[in-house]
Amino acid sequence: MTLLSVEDVYQSYGEEQVLKGVSFEMEQGDVDVLMGPSGSGKSTMLRCINRLTDVDSGDIWLNDTHVTAPETDVNELRQNVGMVFQDFNLFAHLTALENITLGLKRVRGMDPEAARERAHEHLEQVGLSDQAGAYPAELSGGQKQRVGIARALAMEPKLLLFDEPTSALDPELVGDVVTVMQDLAAAGMTMLVVSHELGFARSAADDIHFLDEGRVVESGPPEQLFEQPEHDRTAAFLSGLESGER
Amino acid sequence: MLQTGDWAFVLSNADTLLSGLVITVGLTLSGLSLGFLLGFPAGAVEVYGNGPLQRVVSVAGVVLRGTPIVVILLVLFFIVSISQSAFVTATVGLGLRSAAYQSQIFRGALQSVDEGQLEAARSIGMGRFEAIRRVVVPQALRRSMPGFQNEFTIVLKDTSIAFAIGLAELLTQGYNLFTQSGRSTAVLEVFVVISAVYFVLTFVTNRGLDRLSDHYAIPSGENT
Repeated sequence: MTLLSVEDVYQSYGEEQVLKGVSFEMEQGDVDVLMGPSGSGKSTMLRCINRLTDVDSGDIWLNDTHVTAPETDVNELRQNVGMVFQDFNLFAHLTALENITLGLKRVRGMDPEAARERAHEHLEQVGLSDQAGAYPAELSGGQKQRVGIARALAMEPKLLLFDEPTSALDPELVGDVVTVMQDLAAAGMTMLVVSHELGFARSAADDIHFLDEGRVVESGPPEQLFEQPEHDRTAAFLSGLESGER
Repeated sequence: MLQTGDWAFVLSNADTLLSGLVITVGLTLSGLSLGFLLGFPAGAVEVYGNGPLQRVVSVAGVVLRGTPIVVILLVLFFIVSISQSAFVTATVGLGLRSAAYQSQIFRGALQSVDEGQLEAARSIGMGRFEAIRRVVVPQALRRSMPGFQNEFTIVLKDTSIAFAIGLAELLTQGYNLFTQSGRSTAVLEVFVVISAVYFVLTFVTNRGLDRLSDHYAIPSGENT
């Protein structure tokens, strides 16, 4: 069943055309990765899906919700589309647990006890049961990002967006976050991930969409894009990433 | 020079100074409170608002900050005559002026909370007002404390300007003491005592606010 459908999306910031007709689809349970050089429009594409950014033209559908329609209730939409940020964006004045319960209480309307219970479950899921009372500034980058993932998961979204979730992390902390993401993928979560983390892409991605200058140059499963890319641009970019990793 | 007899004179008239002190403290509290009640929303309007309301708030702030407090009080009392009561007028004057200053304290504090947190709150489906209230404001209030402590000491000392509309606050009462009794030798003693009172008020309150800040400080641990 098609969960997400992106149809010919254009977007610009002022004079600068960022997305120039992007289309792709995701099935329920798919894990897709968006790759491409800096400025290719990957993050903007993600932000259009939960309406943090508005498209100029084109349509996005999440199930039967017309995401890009002006009359769509964005607050309701966003409860179904979780987002994990590059810079974590944890609420600095709240503990790890409270970062998760805030939305459950204020958006979902759960009573405090039920919210705490669910928040504990999700902290456990990301391996941070022992850090429930810690404030963001007391956590490492990897721990912060896992709280960020738990915060998004707790809202029980249909689709989870990851905006370069590991690129602000020290290399030795990337593994923990990637492991959590791989677990989620294995559990059937539908995920759209902007990342250059090759390990994750190879192990978990169903499809990789290679973006360049606001267009999808090429899409396909990881083995196809890595082994037999159709476009030189894709090949050059991916081999650059691989040599950087070695 | 300081003289024992003059100290005794000040002591024996402590009740006069005390009556002034009551007005000084009362004006400081009422002025600061009014300033907070108006200044905090005004700061928020300057950051998050748009259209005519934002322009009105912004222009009012510029006018109030640019006008000497004595002029504000004189205009309110003798020209606009907002109240028969000098105390009420002084409260409004000091309060409006303080609101103009406090709005800038809060504006800076609100702007200092990084945009990403607001975005994260919106991304889990929180409305804009709710997100600002639950995520940005609690942090902004903490960050506005140093500016607020500054503002407190400014309002405390500016209460003395209320003498211009006939309010006998601490400094005026001290002045009355040696002019009306003719005891001009006690000038220095009177001012030493009054300065000490202002100092103690400032010091004690600021230490209290420091405690409050520490109590509500966000733990930062070893990772920074």
